[in-house]
Amino acid sequence: MADKPRLKLPKEAKKGDVIEIKTLVQHPMETGLRKDAGGNVIPRKIVNKFSATFNGAPLFSAELEPAVAANPYLQFTAKIDQGGTFRFTWVDDDGTVTTAEETITVT
Amino acid sequence: MQRGLFLGPAAIALVALATLALPRLAATAPDPGAAPLATGDASARPWKRYPGWPSRDSVKFNTLANPNVSPPAPKEPRKLTKPLAGDPAIGAKLVADRTRGGSCLACHVMGQAGNADMPGNVGPDLSEIGNAGLDDDTLFNFVNDARVYNAESVMPPWGTNGLFSDEEIGHIVAFLKTLKSPAVFPTSVDDPSKRPPPVEHRDNLDEMVNPGLWTVEKAQQLWDARGPTGSSCAGCHGQAAERFKTWAAGMPKWEPRLDKVLGIEEFVYRHAKATTGFDWLMQSSENTAMAVYLRFLANGQAMHVDVTSPGAKEAFERGRALTATKVGQLNFSCLDCHDPKRGGLKWIRGQWLGEQRGQLDHFPTWRTSQQAIWDIRKRFEWCNVAVWANELPPEAKEYGDLELYLASVNAGLKLNVPGIRH
Amino acid sequence: MNRISRRDAVLMGASATLYLSVADVGAALATPPEAEAEIAKFTGGKPAQDGKIAIDLPEIAENGNTIPLAITVNVPISQDSYVSDILVVADGNPNPGIAKFHLTPLSGRAEVGTRIRLATTENVIVVAKTSDGKLYTDRKQVKVTIGGCGG
Repeated sequence: MADKPRLKLPKEAKKGDVIEIKTLVQHPMETGLRKDAGGNVIPRKIVNKFSATFNGAPLFSAELEPAVAANPYLQFTAKIDQGGTFRFTWVDDDGTVTTAEETITVT
Repeated sequence: MQRGLFLGPAAIALVALATLALPRLAATAPDPGAAPLATGDASARPWKRYPGWPSRDSVKFNTLANPNVSPPAPKEPRKLTKPLAGDPAIGAKLVADRTRGGSCLACHVMGQAGNADMPGNVGPDLSEIGNAGLDDDTLFNFVNDARVYNAESVMPPWGTNGLFSDEEIGHIVAFLKTLKSPAVFPTSVDDPSKRPPPVEHRDNLDEMVNPGLWTVEKAQQLWDARGPTGSSCAGCHGQAAERFKTWAAGMPKWEPRLDKVLGIEEFVYRHAKATTGFDWLMQSSENTAMAVYLRFLANGQAMHVDVTSPGAKEAFERGRALTATKVGQLNFSCLDCHDPKRGGLKWIRGQWLGEQRGQLDHFPTWRTSQQAIWDIRKRFEWCNVAVWANELPPEAKEYGDLELYLASVNAGLKLNVPGIRH
Repeated sequence: MNRISRRDAVLMGASATLYLSVADVGAALATPPEAEAEIAKFTGGKPAQDGKIAIDLPEIAENGNTIPLAITVNVPISQDSYVSDILVVADGNPNPGIAKFHLTPLSGRAEVGTRIRLATTENVIVVAKTSDGKLYTDRKQVKVTIGGCGG
């Protein structure tokens, strides 16, 4: 994953609001089905797992296959009853783990 | 008597001027008409077609630089000397064969040919042409070279240009004669007359949507980077965002020193080379990043290019003529696909053909089909190759004339770069 | 199973960045029964009710590389019964699986969005499971277009 992940979510919410969270990470999501100019199969290399927690508790997770488009984009929701910290994690086929965090306050 | 430096009023004024002059030089964007420009090739040499693009050499057919080499249209329809003994089953395959320049289904609905899977509608629906009372000679000549009936025909000269042999045209004619009832489409979107034209909803400037935007960050780094001469863009131009709020909206421009129209991409190469020493060849990732960035800074500005000054006026006229110039083995001009009086605002297969206005405000664009940012010159090259014509190198003066004309057609539209498109 | 057919190998040169060359559906692409097998693994073979899942997909995709997909499961959500898993498969891709999403009571709504790849015109099938074992499914066909003259 080349750059830092990109996140879009509100910085604050009213108690009980359901907010939208958008996440994106730069990654070619190489399917393992393509061949290079020499005819050799380009090996598969994808982000295969994503997870989001809020204040340490599981919120949302995804298992991804090569049919997810390059630069995987994931949008999901969260019901906000208290302020706290989101933690997002992406796992590559090769074991690389990328994380990002974002906080939200309740007004 | 005390000795000291006496600064009379004139001297004070001189000193004041000297100290003001230095920051003023850095604070004023130099007049682009005087911008140093390197000469020579602006793109990679030898110019080689991109790997992965169709590799045919169409040297026997027109290019925009060489528009008089294609075989001429026959002066009159050919008379068949023996009956066509075509096989409609072979014809049915040929009209649906994408490797043969389309073929027919790209532009025509033809009954159940190709399972009526998203045929196009640039040309008339031929599903009932078997009932139209046309004899074999007429059908043959239409396919062989429709220019004998209509000199302005959009139809490729399938026979004259060697796309189909006489025998194959015979098979196609035999198939056409079997078409006697309307097509039955698998779904309503397969019917080009019912298919809704695509509407672009994406926000070009949403980084969650457009990977093209990420190149702006790269360009910002390049702006500050020092080249082999020790200079950087920032060194003369200061903060890019303030200096270039409108510049890109006035490009491309006639450049008398080079006797051609200069687009932003070519300008970036020549100017960066002449000042910083950087070798940002056209269509390199650095060049494309800068070309995106300079327009991005002028986003929201209405495009407005000069087409009346000496040099520009002639280039504009040449550009207009180029849009009507037939090129390639498929013998298409820009207008054949992009003028609503011809193929514009119609479907070829499942692709919508846009008109000229609305095409340039979002270039360079991220192409989802290519997973890369393309500038307008690369788009021109691809269009040429797609109609089986040889492309020109990116800095070809013909592409410059074309870009200037296209920019004038897009005048008033607000820059919205980078785009995101198919 | 060999997933790359001769056709794909030929066309990969022409459009190497495409997920898979777009052409007639051939032996290398998965079939509806393979997609159904994936679904059966998820549902345990139990029937799923249709009509509760809104699938937002374009009728015609501009190409197969990046197609926006949004899913909303319109069923009531409570601590005792919430959408816990959503399976997305396709019946004409080299492999049927696209993604599996796992939601919690913290999710608030059963709404997911992503962007997917489709090799050809095919159906995208969504199956949703709730924490108390209810199953829902819906599907949508997407036409994947190809260039008009090979361009």
